[in-house]
Amino acid sequence: MTENLAARNLTLDYGRTTVVDALDLDIHPGRFTALLGPNGCGKSTILRALAGLLRPADGEVILDGRSIAQTGTKALARRVGILAQAATAPDGLTVEDLVRQGRYPHRSIFQPWQEDDRRAVENALARTALTDLRDRPIDRLSGGQRQRAWIAMTLAQESSIVLLDEPTTYLDLGHQVEVLSLMRQLVDRSGATIVAVLHDLVQAARHADRIVLLAGGRIMAQGEPKDVLTPDNLRAAFGVEIVVLTDPDTGAPICLPRSARPGDAPLQQECGASLDSTNI
Amino acid sequence: MSPWIPALCTGLGVLFLAALALGDQTIPPLDVIGALIGEEGPTGIIVTQLRLPRAIIGAIVGAALGLAGAVCQTIMRNPLADPGIIGINAGAALAATLVIVEIGSLPESILPVASFTGALAATVGIFALSWRNGTTSLRLILVGIGISAFAGACASFISTFGEVAAVQRAMVWLAGSLRDSRWDRLPELIGWMLPACLLIAFGARELDLIVLGDDVARGRGQPVNLVRIALLFGTAMICGAAVAAAGLIAFVGLAAPHIARGLVGQRHAALLPASALTGALLVLAADLIARRALAPVQLPVGIVTAMLGAPFFGVLLWRRRND
Repeated sequence: MTENLAARNLTLDYGRTTVVDALDLDIHPGRFTALLGPNGCGKSTILRALAGLLRPADGEVILDGRSIAQTGTKALARRVGILAQAATAPDGLTVEDLVRQGRYPHRSIFQPWQEDDRRAVENALARTALTDLRDRPIDRLSGGQRQRAWIAMTLAQESSIVLLDEPTTYLDLGHQVEVLSLMRQLVDRSGATIVAVLHDLVQAARHADRIVLLAGGRIMAQGEPKDVLTPDNLRAAFGVEIVVLTDPDTGAPICLPRSARPGDAPLQQECGASLDSTNI
Repeated sequence: MSPWIPALCTGLGVLFLAALALGDQTIPPLDVIGALIGEEGPTGIIVTQLRLPRAIIGAIVGAALGLAGAVCQTIMRNPLADPGIIGINAGAALAATLVIVEIGSLPESILPVASFTGALAATVGIFALSWRNGTTSLRLILVGIGISAFAGACASFISTFGEVAAVQRAMVWLAGSLRDSRWDRLPELIGWMLPACLLIAFGARELDLIVLGDDVARGRGQPVNLVRIALLFGTAMICGAAVAAAGLIAFVGLAAPHIARGLVGQRHAALLPASALTGALLVLAADLIARRALAPVQLPVGIVTAMLGAPFFGVLLWRRRND
């Protein structure tokens, strides 16, 4: 019963700087979509707009045929959950206290804590392997545990669409894989729709169903990983020569950066000179 | 429930009895209790007409300052945000000074209205001046300190031209004093406090969420600006009432929530009552010191809290020096 989220003619700006201009984007329901692109290409901005955190300068975000600007904030939060980047919790706040905040949109002002709420919190803690750490203050967790606690809060919200802004940043390799596998499970077992801003091309190709490659606030390419992650697309988006190999196990594309495109980014080229290869 | 809340209640009870018993004439605790339950006696009047209203008003004002400080620190996401520092109290004091010095003929009951208006005006001013596509807590604090200084300067300016007797009255009151506590002051104090406290009590759940930051709160569906405005309105009511009753009592709003947080943690359902209780304890203790330290000279309670609070402020800054 997952829902359709889409952007129509979406224009987003910060003050006088237009970041995204007239973007059309369809998020496929029940799939894991990765937003990729260079820094400053508008990935996070688009994600924030999809969740209603940022008001569009023009155009709209549509959820099941209706503009989210006309949906109440709590009603929207029951259907779309977002984990923004670099949130901080006050000192001493425990994991469980944080995760409980995910139930906010399900509770009216006089409604006490209910069985549904308890179950959702237990579920979210179990899925993120935090049940044993529930009474630990957030500021005494490792970076990976902390990130999982924030993800658990977003899961406790039980929205069918989950948006994540760089959920794997600051995590070591093991925890990165763990978080992405968790996303995969949510899609495969619960039929959730996931949209995540990611940096690692290999992991995005491995775990996501679809990739939307952005550059300069526009969509360069979208579709299945093997169709999107081509040397031509990646050169155009990142300005880097990339060799694409194939994962022998999964058939997913593996992107290996070689060097900066000549003349495009001299600094990068100098730094990467020793890695220079024959394919320039 | 945290065991600290009953402990704070007990401490407050003990301090309350001490406030009734100690003074120029020390009254044994049993006689105090006797006077409270209505036994006739030579000491009855001292307890019920002089010390009891002062202790009750002191406790309520302290609770108000602690509560207002806790709400401010949470919605501005800054541990230094205290109505006394960011100019809300100074706005209330300016409006009240205006009433005392310039319009001396007006009835005293207008004082809470004036100081609420001043507190609200200062709050709106702080937000308006620090708003640029939303606001940051640092900008709020800096603008607030500026407003505080400006309101203080205006109050001094008004005093310079006022009639001497009225100015003197205003000055003593500005320093933060419970000397003028009488029974007839109590109804208006409670009348302002009660609705504001109800508003804030219903807001405890909102505070638990908004403390995580605007993005997180909006992502959970919270109407962040509405919550912030409603709760600041309640805070301005509380500050206005407290300032009208006892003038400027410094540092309680800053210190009480910090102490309470250390005792009961971050959940506002416990933090708000604990902050109020701690604030009441601090003001009662400070007033006791103010009355007894240099007896028979009576110090204004605000001077005692400032002397105790200044080092606390320093410690707080020192501990956060690397943030």
